[in-house]
Amino acid sequence: MSILLDHVNYIYGENTPDEKQALIDVSVEIKENEMIALVGHTGSGKSTFVQLLNGLEAPSSGTVYYQGTDISEPSFSKRELRGKVGLVFQYPEYQLFEETVIRDVQFGPKNMGFRDLDIELYSFEALKKVGIGDELLDASPLSLSGGQKRRVAIAGVLAMQPEFLILDEPAAGLDPAGKREIMELLKSLHEEKKITILFVSHSMEDVAEYAKRVLVMNEGRIVLDGRSEQIFSYQKELEQIGLGVPQSVSLVNSLKKHGWDIKGMPIKYGETVEAIYEAVTRRSGGSI
Amino acid sequence: MIRDITIGQYYRTESVIHRLDPRVKIVGTLCYMISLFTFQSFAGYLAAIPFFAFVLLLSRVPFSYTVKGLKPVFVMLILTSVLNLFWTEGTVIVRLGFVVVTWEGLKRMIVISLRLILLIIGASVLTLTTTPNQLTDGLEHLFSPLKKVHVPVHEIAMMMSIALRFIPILIEETGRIMKAQTARGADFETGSVLRRIKNMFPIFIPLFVSAVHRAGDLADAMDARCYHGGAGRTKLHPLHYTGRDSAAFFVLLLYLLLLYFVKRYIPY
Repeated sequence: MSILLDHVNYIYGENTPDEKQALIDVSVEIKENEMIALVGHTGSGKSTFVQLLNGLEAPSSGTVYYQGTDISEPSFSKRELRGKVGLVFQYPEYQLFEETVIRDVQFGPKNMGFRDLDIELYSFEALKKVGIGDELLDASPLSLSGGQKRRVAIAGVLAMQPEFLILDEPAAGLDPAGKREIMELLKSLHEEKKITILFVSHSMEDVAEYAKRVLVMNEGRIVLDGRSEQIFSYQKELEQIGLGVPQSVSLVNSLKKHGWDIKGMPIKYGETVEAIYEAVTRRSGGSI
Repeated sequence: MIRDITIGQYYRTESVIHRLDPRVKIVGTLCYMISLFTFQSFAGYLAAIPFFAFVLLLSRVPFSYTVKGLKPVFVMLILTSVLNLFWTEGTVIVRLGFVVVTWEGLKRMIVISLRLILLIIGASVLTLTTTPNQLTDGLEHLFSPLKKVHVPVHEIAMMMSIALRFIPILIEETGRIMKAQTARGADFETGSVLRRIKNMFPIFIPLFVSAVHRAGDLADAMDARCYHGGAGRTKLHPLHYTGRDSAAFFVLLLYLLLLYFVKRYIPY
């Protein structure tokens, strides 16, 4: 169970003055049951990358494999692939179009050709999962709040029962509470439903908190790929390409520079607090 | 697929033609287009084609790029060619059953299709080398005498430039929504006509919703900058004629003279 990109290049507007190579020799494997964050500054090729994963864009050269099959083969059903690899675009609330929330969510599973009973079931389930209450099922999507719309849009993709869920900046433009809700939703989808998740994010704190593996893109290339603790040890390199490390990591790094002996490489907020507390108690001889 | 539309698009590069005053370009294009209708002979093209080639060369827009503009009218081009070829009376060259090709028909086909091609790629040079803003600026100036008879020239020009400005945005938006719905398994390419029209709803409804939103936002932004219409407004980049523009008018005059003499002395 994996998506594999093999030496993929992607060129926009070939043979026009605006020609631009968005992806350069990208090779990467996304395995079952992973929780991956994709980071990189604007224009580094992230959006193009995610669109290759479900066959919305075809590489200019190189191959994309889904479960070992080349997805460009004519016999391969792109539609089925899009059900298995659910893609949630940036600001997905702009794609809502039906008169009611529940009918909008049913759009995806209907296109997948599921049985009517399953369509109903999956849609209710997905809406419940994202925390949209029964009272909103027959509301117009346009009447919802920003965060609610976003969750309905995510439910629309979830209802297709994807094995991989790819989200392009799922938390962009939401308030802190809305952001946390979305990120917690991804976490529970990953842990309870065993869905592989790949999300694009500009918030290093979110990346540290939720991702197990991090892909770093710069100017069309994947420049770093590894466990999040590993990735965030490259503070200087990340800053050079316009990114950074979570505040907790840069705090620990500064403390270390000032002679504090902090054990391990904490990256999450909670872990960092623990580690600093431990270092402080150790220095003061067991009491604060 | 939507990205392939080139008609009305601006081609960004540095050239004399790009830097010309838009008024000169509009008047020039108009003269050129009218001039194409003043002759029925091959000889006229001895003037028109070199003139067009000269302008295109100066503009530094690749020829292949202007030709792309022909794609949407390709069917029309073929149709007029066929009609002219087979339905013109005169000296017969080939006769195959009821299909008759005459010398006059052949000549007419070539003259007319060449005219159509030159007309369309000629007009596309104007839009390829002039930004929409310059274009409406030029039009506003050229039509400003109409203000005397209370035609709201400025407002019309403003509406035009807003509309033009939003075309690429809406095209991009359409592409984005199409992709989002495709990612949800929507299919826009197969099925009966009725089915396909029905399949367009998931695109058009979000598109309209966002267009209305954008219009509201734009109105607010204009309001916030105290926009109140044409009276008393000055320009950031006022249009000035320069030596370059006089030279362009001179070249245009040369072309028209050349066309006149060619028509007069070459009888084909």
